[in-house]
Amino acid sequence: MITIENSLITVIALSTPLIIAVLGETISEKSGVINLSAEGTIMICALFAFVFGYLTDIAVVGLIAGMILGAIIAAFLSLCDIKLRMDQIAVGFVLTILCSRLSSYLGQGYVRISGPTLNKISIPLLSDIPFFGNILFNHSLITYISILLIPSTWLLLNKTTFGLSLRASGENPNAANSRGINVQKIRFIGTLIGGSLLGLSGAAFSLYAKYGWSEGHTTNYGWIVLAIVIFGGWNPFRAAMGAYAFGLLQVLAIKAQSITLALSQILPLLPFPLMIFILIFIQYINRKDSSSVPLIIKSLIGGNQPESLGKKLPKEF
Amino acid sequence: MNFNDLKINFIRFILAILIIFFLLLSFGINPLDVTNALFIGSFGSFEKIIRTMLVWVPISLASIALIYTFSSGMWNIGIEGQIIMGAIGATFIARSFLGDNFISPYIQLIMALGFGGFWGFICAILKVKGGVHEIFSGLGLDFVASGIAIYLIIGPWKRKGIASTSGTEIFHESSWIPTVGNLDFPIFLFLIVILVYVFTYFLLSQTSFGLRLKATGINFFATNRFNFSSERYIIYSFIIAGALAGIAGFSQVSGSYHKLVPTISGGFGFLSILLVLICSRNIFLTFIISFLFAALIVGGSQLQIKLDLDHSLVGIIQASFVLSWLILQRVNLEKKILNIFSKVLTK
Repeated sequence: MITIENSLITVIALSTPLIIAVLGETISEKSGVINLSAEGTIMICALFAFVFGYLTDIAVVGLIAGMILGAIIAAFLSLCDIKLRMDQIAVGFVLTILCSRLSSYLGQGYVRISGPTLNKISIPLLSDIPFFGNILFNHSLITYISILLIPSTWLLLNKTTFGLSLRASGENPNAANSRGINVQKIRFIGTLIGGSLLGLSGAAFSLYAKYGWSEGHTTNYGWIVLAIVIFGGWNPFRAAMGAYAFGLLQVLAIKAQSITLALSQILPLLPFPLMIFILIFIQYINRKDSSSVPLIIKSLIGGNQPESLGKKLPKEF
Repeated sequence: MNFNDLKINFIRFILAILIIFFLLLSFGINPLDVTNALFIGSFGSFEKIIRTMLVWVPISLASIALIYTFSSGMWNIGIEGQIIMGAIGATFIARSFLGDNFISPYIQLIMALGFGGFWGFICAILKVKGGVHEIFSGLGLDFVASGIAIYLIIGPWKRKGIASTSGTEIFHESSWIPTVGNLDFPIFLFLIVILVYVFTYFLLSQTSFGLRLKATGINFFATNRFNFSSERYIIYSFIIAGALAGIAGFSQVSGSYHKLVPTISGGFGFLSILLVLICSRNIFLTFIISFLFAALIVGGSQLQIKLDLDHSLVGIIQASFVLSWLILQRVNLEKKILNIFSKVLTK
């Protein structure tokens, strides 16, 4: 019983940074921008958050530093895309490589030293509930933030005017433009919010989920984030479920290490083939008469890919 | 490539190098020391030149592979996976009954071509028939390929007694790529690369196949008017790209490592994407820049020894070079500089 409880606590802790990153990437993809710099942004923000936390000895300063750096990188990407009309995928890709190499270079002096960590905060009363109380209400600040972010992202996207403009910019920038929406500005803000969440996620790695810093500290997590966004069908709730599922997968992989080495190495790669299947399925139900597909399956693994995702804005904007 | 393009590219090159020098200075590093160490590290002796060649071969092949997919307007992020699959194909032969036979490398080459081409084909089919964005499918297939490699290394192909991710057993020497001289000059690989360069140049610039490939990249829908299907050319480009990346994997596994390791691609696939962003479809530029990048990688080992700088500095130099190049391309500073020059000269 104790092992199950501990495992579930680990699942929630490990999923924390992923959820934040997945929500950030969802917002930015909803506005039509694939932020391919996710891998590098998370990595270098993890380093920066740790360094700032270490220098000031206050973990929250690290969180804020990570967020700001993430926003700066996203702003750079967005300016290259909007102002210089460069390919967002090209710039994102170069930024990924640049940021991850920069993180290994700049982080040399900080490898495996102990710094501040986010303390666990038990929520009074709620954490006293047997079993669930300990699993859900005995975490650090960043975990609560990540859980609160899930509904707030959904509300932002679906229940606000800004969210409507954001989705319109991602679906059909021409139509949005003719309705008087400043698509450039909306995309810039969307990418900025997304980038700052990616930065926060990096900070959550080095200050909470995977204490400290080492070279390649968050390797592959950025790519996994891209996979989970698709797995979640660009829906915050489902994306969060995907992140928890991946956390579970990681814990299973750690447990499997004692049984077979092969399984523990391969389990964390499972999101990628799943991502491809989901994408095929989405296209399938979009093409065929979708009434033949049961509604439950559609809502579980279908999804609305933003129509102009990754495409350049028309010249006249 | 006309003379004006050459001048602009040259000025852009100098500007990008200057930006990197400033970056290094801001890190408190003397850029001239770095240049010196990198040069000695990559061209200082015959052994080092050969090591540079062994890195240049896979980078070149992967970059040419990407030229095909870029021509058809596709992002082939799956290149890493195609390199890994090529390496797996080659290892399959090296570990079979053919492993101690002198024909092993040649069969390996064919297998690597097939495996890599197949992996590229999957990506193309997912794009054309499944409508999956090639970035996501490519990324997914990269990790699937690396999963297969890891599984093989610690599963069926593990070394006797121990299962670890450090790699398979070293191949029999007949399975190594043939070399000449006592310095092991990889003549076979060298010939393949030169052949691929020349062949690609002619295919893209002199044949209707190349023209159609480029037409597909420029306007996917207009090609119907000329009675050929864009989809088919996308599939062709991915198969060719995958096959060439497969040879890169073969070069890595039988030319450099002589065994299969999980990180067999060495990140050369992603590096080649950076490279092709600069070169786009320019074969001549690809030749030069791929050599430069290979020299940077091999020379990087000297940074640690001579200057006590981390090897990751090489990655920073490469990525910031590409980023400054791309930005300079948009800002069009070179033209202004060229104009100033010509004004000064005419006066």
